Amino acid sequence: MIFYGHTGWRLSLAAVLTAASLHAADVSVSAELSRPDITAGTMAELQLKVTGAQTADVPKEIDVEGLQIRLTGQSTQVQMVNFKVSSSVVYSYIVMPLRTGDFTIPAIGVQADGRRFVTSALPFSVRPGSAASSAASAPIPQPMLPQMPPGMRPRQAPRPAPQVPSANRLAFGEIHCAKKSIYVGEMVPVEIQFFFDAHYPVQVRGKVDFGGEGVLAERFPDPKESHEERDGVTYNVLTFHTLLSAVKPGSVDLAPAKLDSQMQIPGGAPPGFDDPVFQQLLGGQSPFTQSRDLAVKTAPLHLDIMPLPKEKRPDSFGGAVGQFDIDAVVANPHPAPGDPATLLIKIGGKGNFKAMGPPVLTNAEGWRTYPPTDKFDSSDELSYTGVKSFDYTLIAQQDRQLSPGAEFSYFDPVAQQYVTLTTKPLPLVSTPGSAAVPPLSGAVAPASAQGSPIPKQSTGPAKEGDPLGEITLRSWTTPVQRPEFLIASLAMIVATVALAGILYLRDLQARGGSDRSRRRRRIATLWSVINADTSDAISVYDAAVEYAGMMDVPESARDAVTGPLKEQRDKLKYGTGGSFPLPPAERESLLATLRGLSPGKTGGSIS
Amino acid sequence: MKHLMTFLLTLGLLTVSLCAVVPVDSGSANAQFHAGRTAEALSSYRTLLASSAFAKAGSFELWYNRGLAEEKTGEPVAASLSFRRALILSPGFVPARRQLSKILESLGVPFRETPIDKAFTLISPEAMILGGAILGWLGLLAFVVLFYANREKKGYLALALVCFVLGHGVSLAGSMTDPRRVAASQGVVTSKTSPTLRATPADSGTAAGTLSPGTLTSILSRNGAWWYVSDGSGHTGWIPSDTITPLIPALPSASGS
Repeated sequence: MIFYGHTGWRLSLAAVLTAASLHAADVSVSAELSRPDITAGTMAELQLKVTGAQTADVPKEIDVEGLQIRLTGQSTQVQMVNFKVSSSVVYSYIVMPLRTGDFTIPAIGVQADGRRFVTSALPFSVRPGSAASSAASAPIPQPMLPQMPPGMRPRQAPRPAPQVPSANRLAFGEIHCAKKSIYVGEMVPVEIQFFFDAHYPVQVRGKVDFGGEGVLAERFPDPKESHEERDGVTYNVLTFHTLLSAVKPGSVDLAPAKLDSQMQIPGGAPPGFDDPVFQQLLGGQSPFTQSRDLAVKTAPLHLDIMPLPKEKRPDSFGGAVGQFDIDAVVANPHPAPGDPATLLIKIGGKGNFKAMGPPVLTNAEGWRTYPPTDKFDSSDELSYTGVKSFDYTLIAQQDRQLSPGAEFSYFDPVAQQYVTLTTKPLPLVSTPGSAAVPPLSGAVAPASAQGSPIPKQSTGPAKEGDPLGEITLRSWTTPVQRPEFLIASLAMIVATVALAGILYLRDLQARGGSDRSRRRRRIATLWSVINADTSDAISVYDAAVEYAGMMDVPESARDAVTGPLKEQRDKLKYGTGGSFPLPPAERESLLATLRGLSPGKTGGSIS
Repeated sequence: MKHLMTFLLTLGLLTVSLCAVVPVDSGSANAQFHAGRTAEALSSYRTLLASSAFAKAGSFELWYNRGLAEEKTGEPVAASLSFRRALILSPGFVPARRQLSKILESLGVPFRETPIDKAFTLISPEAMILGGAILGWLGLLAFVVLFYANREKKGYLALALVCFVLGHGVSLAGSMTDPRRVAASQGVVTSKTSPTLRATPADSGTAAGTLSPGTLTSILSRNGAWWYVSDGSGHTGWIPSDTITPLIPALPSASGS
């Protein structure tokens, strides 16, 4: 039996040494594309390499319009050169084009060792063309395989080995792939077995070397150990399982999977110790052995990789290839007004869960939705089968009775066609918070919405501890400190003054002008009557009396003039024959008298 | 009447422009918060608040959200500052006041809620200032119109005069009580340790007490790296300027920073 995993203390020591060495190591981050340009219908691989840190926080997806870039896995590589240990973590992304054109994969931010690193932006182009012409010229970096334990404990051989067999009898490998023809993006299980002659102790060195251009191999979990007899020889068998997926169409010849090992085989015994009796005394084991390095290989693997058909590709297809089913659950079908509800969409089955995009919500009118969070529960160690859950946070913007539905499309490589799964809207009674309330709300708290002229007052009831959804702008200064308020106030002052002026003038106009102007107009009228040759004597004296009465002179002087004028007027009016033109001499005398009321001034310019 | 309508319309538009909805989406950050990824949410809120959309104004919602995230990530002093900023922008926002009260209690900093603070839950100072101004000017315009149109109706004239006086009185009261009026000269102690108040702006100055992290102070004078502050309880002194953060944040540039 091979004790592959019973080297814990050595691993721990190595880990401690590694960690101690890595602690002082410099951290560097780099990004590399398998190919800078591809043709439509194929995929590329983006590798993000973090050196000098054991863990790093990298994005699961990289947003590039027209590309779909998803994290598919990671691997760790530890190297020791001249007693200096360095570690690299390689994060692999699948780059799936959604359209042709030139792209720039932006700088990727990586949080490692408590610091933030940024890679360089990478140019990338997708050319139109047939899938068959996509033979890659640039090699795709091989996926990193897990560091193997440094050795296996030698075991007791079950029986003496009288003769050392040839190398290909000591150890050999086999590879089994369920399918020889797969689609781009399809995950196909692969089993790799390494057989070691059970007679001889063996140490496995390094890791399984497997992969090839345009093909991604998932991380190898711990191998399974077993025994098997071939041609009468008992072998210890290490069985590795992995998943292969192709990133571009075409024919691929994968190099043999290889595992380096060192086997202890009997060596030449010095004279006197090569007696079989002596060996039997030692339990059948030769005390004299020699180490032989073996590179155990499998046969090469040929795969035909077909592109995903372009015709009838649903809009909701997000890269899932496999066989899936869908289920939907509303976590809280009766949320409080304004509270979020959770719609849980579960995609179960087998396939490329890592490259799977979220389902598309349908009938989502009246809901505010957010990008879902996802969680994958695998039912096997390869993450080939399982259930991926997408949690959608929904906030009702209108009164709703049903949740949104969901649509999920995938390519079924068995049926060789796209399949679209849908879920129907589920009962979900939800109402928005009050109109002035931010979307996430619940408990009641007094608000300052009352009496506010601000149209969107978000200070309404908000559940304690929930972030607010709506964003409004408020000034950091009071209104009276803002120029616009001062300008508006000034404008109101001007408006008030202008309004008052306009109304005053209108009032003045309605009243015939001011008293002074009316008096001036009247005096001028009277003077013209007095001066007119056509005026009869009564009218002249009427005007003269009124004129004299309007003069701004001492009352005694006015009475001295108006008295005779009134007497003469009354005589003409009530006496005999007064209605005749005034004689010129009398008119001149009258005018002279009236001028005397305003010395130095004519009748028309009385003050 | 046409002139009156024109000016009222102008004033209304001005009022609306003072509080506009920002085309900034905080949904992703909120989703991160709800998903328990508060550190990511905090980073998103900080990024949003550094965007050019907030070059001239702030969002109390984002400061409140940021305070929640800072509280969740174990930064109570920073959270207290964020909640105070949310309250500067919206003094009547009760959830922020409660969160601030809770945090200050945990920091051992006294938190006083004045009757004015309670009044702000009914009407904000912004509403008082703008609403009062509008009422006051309307009262004056009505008085002018009534004076010329029908000055015999003394009751209406008196009512218009009351509106004028009352409106501008309310506006003045809002201006005087608006926390933003004095916020520019206030700061919060954000150092992890309690800075020592000193009688002179030097490390060798006589100690006159300490200020707990989270304490709101009035910045009375600035002398290089030393600020002369008062904590509102009669304690004054000089403290290093790097231990205190102004209540009004440094606004991002219009081009985004």
